[in-house]
Amino acid sequence: MSMTETMKLSDWIKRFTFYEILVGMKATMTVFVQRIVLRSRKAVTFQYPHEKRDLPGTYRGMIALLRYNDMTEKCVGCDLCEAACPSRVITVISDEVPGEPMKRFAKEYYMDMARCIFCGLCVKACPVDALAMTTEYEWSVYNKRDLRLNKDQLLALGDRNFPTREEKIEHQHHNVTFFNIGHQNLPPMDS
Amino acid sequence: MELMIFAGAALVKIAMVMIVVLLTVAFLTLAERKVLSWMQDRMGPMEVGPYGILQPIADGLKLFFKEDIIPSGANWLLFSLAPILSVVPALIGFAVIPYGPNQEMEIFGVTIKPFVITDINIGILYILAFASIGAYGIILGGWASNNKYSLLGGLRAAAQVISYELNIGLAIIGVIILSGSLSMVKIAEGQAGGFWHWYLFGGLQIVGFVVYVISAVAETNRLPFDLAEAESELVAGWMTEYSGMRFAFFFMAEYANMILVSCIAAVLFLGGYQSPFPHYIIEYLGFPGMKWVEAVVWFTVKVYFFLFLFFWIRATLPRLRYDQLMRFGWKVLLPLALANVLITSIVVYFVRQP
Repeated sequence: MSMTETMKLSDWIKRFTFYEILVGMKATMTVFVQRIVLRSRKAVTFQYPHEKRDLPGTYRGMIALLRYNDMTEKCVGCDLCEAACPSRVITVISDEVPGEPMKRFAKEYYMDMARCIFCGLCVKACPVDALAMTTEYEWSVYNKRDLRLNKDQLLALGDRNFPTREEKIEHQHHNVTFFNIGHQNLPPMDS
Repeated sequence: MELMIFAGAALVKIAMVMIVVLLTVAFLTLAERKVLSWMQDRMGPMEVGPYGILQPIADGLKLFFKEDIIPSGANWLLFSLAPILSVVPALIGFAVIPYGPNQEMEIFGVTIKPFVITDINIGILYILAFASIGAYGIILGGWASNNKYSLLGGLRAAAQVISYELNIGLAIIGVIILSGSLSMVKIAEGQAGGFWHWYLFGGLQIVGFVVYVISAVAETNRLPFDLAEAESELVAGWMTEYSGMRFAFFFMAEYANMILVSCIAAVLFLGGYQSPFPHYIIEYLGFPGMKWVEAVVWFTVKVYFFLFLFFWIRATLPRLRYDQLMRFGWKVLLPLALANVLITSIVVYFVRQP
């Protein structure tokens, strides 16, 4: 309130009795009494290393490579995740499956998690659902090179976080096994 | 021989008071963080010991083992002197605080007063004099650091402490008029016989009390008057370049000053060790010899009430702007304190007319 305005008597009384300050002090004291005396109020903070927040199922944590239930890798080495990645985290070196020239797999698969922005586009891009985002987030390391995960580490992440695996569908047309999809409207395999 | 016993008793008293004050300082650092966090829906320190009660020990050990850094370009002598100049005046004021009844005790034929280190007849003047030396510690520390933030913080602190010391001095004059003495022991004694005899209520020193409490918060550089260290503006003010034990001394000085101004407020306005009832409760229960225990407890309760008030205000109010601080000090508190002195002296003159 500026001094030029004419002040009412109640305003003067409020000013001289520090009314507004007392209102604020009542607010803090209310919280204090609720915390300490009545015990009706809890701290909003977490004692982090000891207690952790419940994460939602859709939490975007570390990215993992998945397997089918017969423990074969889902990844077909198609490079679509590498193409989708906005920050060039992923490096895929794909190769033919030995003896099956129509099938491919990722010979080497690297994710430089130090650069990952956890956008989830690679998971969206994967045609065979070989990638998934886990709820792991405590991945502090002393050397940032340690965050460049290879295929074994990514598969271990998947094994650790997704113990139930998708069933591998075997009756696929051998011409379209490049992607493990598209088995729905196809004629049955000739034996 | 008598002199030796007297000196020995004095040393024991000094040691006791210093131990209690330093333990309270250590406890206050924890209590402040805990009270603040409880008022702000947090938990405060929880790691060291159960509910974090050993946190002061951990902090002290950390500060003690830290590297002793003197910045290049700093004035070595003044840089080292400033923390000492800050902490000594804060601790030395406790020499005249009566924390128990003014009774005498005989040890080997020497009469001593066990509940006050020394009862000098200008006690309150002595405290005010040493409190103003504390301002030198701050401004010298700020200047000697060779740092812009330190200098700004030191200048702000000096201006603030000097302005508000004036208000403290004027606010307590009403009490001094009423008691007719500058001795802290006499002032506390004059308020015996129930809370309506305390100078806050019986002497109607409410204005003086409010002016004193606000100025005390300002003089100890605490929120909402912590412009001197204003961590969001000046890093840490005059303490920016300090670390390790030198920083610990400044820290101790701040908390010891808090305890000191709380003790003064308790003695001057709330009767010090006096019970709020006409007699001590323990006398009603039939142990008149043990009334000093209750007296010390009353004193502790009063001092801790003020210390809690410090935390409470800190949890509630934001920092003032510099011009607001100066305007409030000079244009509001100073006239109020002067009016209080004038009215008190006129009333006392007519009431005490023979």
